[in-house]
Amino acid sequence: MMTSERSPLTTRVLNISDGVPAARVSLSLHRLDSQLKLWNMLNLGMTDEDGRCPGLISREAFLPGMYKLRFETGAYWTSLERDSFYPYAEVVFTVTDSMHNIHLPLLMSCYSYSTYMGS
Amino acid sequence: MRRSLLLAQPVRCWRMKDNLRLYSSAHMSANRLQQLKSHIFPENKIRVMASPLTTHVLNTAKGVPVANIALSLHRLDHSTETWLLINAGHTNADGRFPGLITKQEFLCGVYKLRFETARYWESMGEPSFYPYAEIVFTISDPDQKYHIPLLLSQYSYSTYRGS
Repeated sequence: MMTSERSPLTTRVLNISDGVPAARVSLSLHRLDSQLKLWNMLNLGMTDEDGRCPGLISREAFLPGMYKLRFETGAYWTSLERDSFYPYAEVVFTVTDSMHNIHLPLLMSCYSYSTYMGS
Repeated sequence: MRRSLLLAQPVRCWRMKDNLRLYSSAHMSANRLQQLKSHIFPENKIRVMASPLTTHVLNTAKGVPVANIALSLHRLDHSTETWLLINAGHTNADGRFPGLITKQEFLCGVYKLRFETARYWESMGEPSFYPYAEIVFTISDPDQKYHIPLLLSQYSYSTYRGS
């Protein structure tokens, strides 16, 4: 699902063990339906050679609420024939009215990961 | 005081509590000493085995441990694809949670540690980006020790596998 305008939510996955972008990491974006308490999947994608995944969501769809970005990190390390400690990494975050662009990177190795809110 | 038990061995002093530690193995075997200790301090059963899984929550914005953050440990039941709650509580003043799991309960599998981070930041009167942080990890060798810290600020977190 590609949008013509830049997505207000961007991510980048970095392999800090090897000092390279993590390419071909499957990921999915979900929004919590606060009434039903269920996660609705909004988009499914894969990082490119630069570890990015353009077109995650359109500005119109990026409503305030609780979102989840799930990264299939276990499958990534398996494709590199390495064991890893985490089967996946899910980052759950809150989007408020005042937020315009959110950059949510994931820096990972086989035995660690970190994330932060950028813009 | 159970005199009959005490007199079974050549114990020389009345004030057991004060003098127990003065007795070397020359006077009393280690087993006997342990037995006496458990009679005298019944409420203080010495926990021989520490949890094989530990955590430590740190506030990297202020450089302090995160005290009193709610957390819970779960194991995935693969047959039903549901999470079974193993333990829940709050970190202590040092940001730690002793007794997270027993060696008997610590089986191979997929576990989840959930930290109620937004509640912590609210208690500090500060906004934060994450409603909670969940770390899902695989235990393939329960004989090892696993240390899973969470380094936390309002707009970031990180974790790693320690031992």
